[in-house]
Amino acid sequence: MKIKKDEVGWLLLFIAPTLILFTLFFILPILFLLASSFTNWDGIDAEFVGFENYIKLFNKKSFVRAITNNLYWCITAALITVPLGLIIALLLSHRSRGWKVFRTVLFVPQVVSSAAIAMLWAAVFNAEYGLLNFILDNIGLSDYKNHNWLGNVRTANAALIGFSLCYVGYFMVIMLAKTASISEDYYDAAKIDGASQIQKDFYITAPLIKSTFFLCIILAVIFNLRQFEYVYLMTAGGPANKTQVLVVYIWNELTVQRLGRGSAAGVIMIALGAMLLLLLRRILKSETYN
Amino acid sequence: MIKLILKKLSITFIAISFTVISSVASAEITITWPSIWVGKDSKTTVIGELIDEFNAANAGSIKVVVEEQTDYDIYAQKLTAQIATGELPDIMTVGAQLLDVLHRSGKAMDLAPHINSDPHWNNVYPENALQSAMTDGVLSALPYELFVTPVTYNKKILKEAGYDEFPDNYDDFFKMCEAVTANGKVCTSQMTGKNGWTSMLWYSQALASAGGPDIYEKGLDHPAYVKAFEVMEKMYQYTTSDAIGADAGVSGGHFLNERTAVFMNGPWFIARYTSDGIPGLHENIGVAAAPMLMGGEGSPGGYVGGRQSSLAAGKQSDPAKEEAIVKFLKWLTIPENVARLSYSSGAMFIVNADLPNDMDRLFIEMKQGISDAPYVAPIFQNGIGSLAVASEFPQALSALALGDVTPEGAVEMLQDAE
Repeated sequence: MKIKKDEVGWLLLFIAPTLILFTLFFILPILFLLASSFTNWDGIDAEFVGFENYIKLFNKKSFVRAITNNLYWCITAALITVPLGLIIALLLSHRSRGWKVFRTVLFVPQVVSSAAIAMLWAAVFNAEYGLLNFILDNIGLSDYKNHNWLGNVRTANAALIGFSLCYVGYFMVIMLAKTASISEDYYDAAKIDGASQIQKDFYITAPLIKSTFFLCIILAVIFNLRQFEYVYLMTAGGPANKTQVLVVYIWNELTVQRLGRGSAAGVIMIALGAMLLLLLRRILKSETYN
Repeated sequence: MIKLILKKLSITFIAISFTVISSVASAEITITWPSIWVGKDSKTTVIGELIDEFNAANAGSIKVVVEEQTDYDIYAQKLTAQIATGELPDIMTVGAQLLDVLHRSGKAMDLAPHINSDPHWNNVYPENALQSAMTDGVLSALPYELFVTPVTYNKKILKEAGYDEFPDNYDDFFKMCEAVTANGKVCTSQMTGKNGWTSMLWYSQALASAGGPDIYEKGLDHPAYVKAFEVMEKMYQYTTSDAIGADAGVSGGHFLNERTAVFMNGPWFIARYTSDGIPGLHENIGVAAAPMLMGGEGSPGGYVGGRQSSLAAGKQSDPAKEEAIVKFLKWLTIPENVARLSYSSGAMFIVNADLPNDMDRLFIEMKQGISDAPYVAPIFQNGIGSLAVASEFPQALSALALGDVTPEGAVEMLQDAE
């Protein structure tokens, strides 16, 4: 569509509020972040230090671990949480008896404060009085009687990521909503052809909600790249930095007044996020954006 | 018509004038204090009483409002952000690790002129206590709470394990831990969550014992840092299974419930042995200096401790508000009020206060310990002089306790954080 000359003024007028707000609250902070990442700003004084912050960050094992852990969270979400959400959405799309109850129960974690959930799970995983160890002990796995799930290098990450699976409900609801928009004609035709329920799920429902499934993967990756509250509240990146993630790392840098280095970590996180999104966009382009 | 309009305008003018005059006349200065002495803190009751009494005495002119901050670490983090943004609260409780940055920010009220203009206020402090707290003649924070952290131990549990006296060296200490463990109890309360407080105190004791009270001036390359981590490595063999990741509530809770035999914390915890401990716990508690490392540069009976909380105020543009804040700070440092605070909580203060004769037995024993101590060395968190190194300590300690690094590796983690 070609824009007429006399329409340009109006066009600018209408998009100006969005542009101004976007610049004020998004572009300027990013530029400030970028500028401060080249300084040793401690909240009081700042001197230009070039790429020193970036070099130091990439030489730190805990920072590299934070990046790999974030990728670990993203991959788990993309390969486990979202596919699990798809399976549940497919099952619930049959509208079997009690499906609304399941849908509500699975969605409940979304409406509860994440801080409350983190505290609850920290108590469940507690070595001395935790529910998980109590159950394991009572079913004969007494080796785990005092296992410190969140305080053990081998189990801390798995415990954290494991409980994040309860967020499957969010993606399930999105995909379930999409199934509602599929025309009944497809299912009627399949029924006439003698298709079973599983065949309908795999050959009709799943392909028709594929674009939503890929959208959920992108959302899951974005959410998990920003992972903060569960890690901060349950392990604070420990033990031995094994569960460190980027936002907690940045938070720690800010609390010790290394704001310049924290900014550099923030810039790296933005770059990483942009790269991941571009990669996903390229992989999923034909399905998600066409 | 004109008359009616004029009449209405006059009435409106008079009404507005009355409102303005009455609001000016009743202008009450509100002082906000984000305080950590709330909730379960042992100073909560008396601090609350002092604020109520101050507000009552200054009704209509000054009102102190407390913003409750129950998590010490979050409070320190919030304060750090506020110092950086220059948006300081009216009054704040500042830990020793933030004093330097608070001073450098130039955002804190300089209390030196107020102290100098009021000899009585100056006199409630020991000689040179305030002068030594000044930097370049500026007093950014008023020294207030002091602390030492001797060992507190459960005499009953130790007796059951065959020990009447607390060991004075680490070799005997770990033998005692073996005996306690064999008796079905856990020897020490430890933690790596948050700032790793209890374990950090143990580390500070071992550090001063190995490298002497001036260890922080010798740098992280000094072998004492490795030796102290060797002690901690062993200490974690005799602690609860949830120590890694545990916070102060968990580690303190084990001792309060007689699940552990030995615990280290400041005198402010004394009141909690009675209020939160199992019945009879307080009577069973003994106080001792931390064990010594054989061949170390420290001296037997040496303590760690120092300045705990200082009182500071944000810089004010309104002289009336500044005066109101100073008035409240003076109220908090009146010796009688400090004595009340100390009596109820067990906490120690730098202000010269006449304490009652019936102070808690543990408080008296700790005081005696300080008098007898050859030195009171700073704790690691305050002495190391780097927020980054102090914040890496819990991670280095958990890595050590899990066997992920050696004591040398733990020191490298600290060096790497610098």
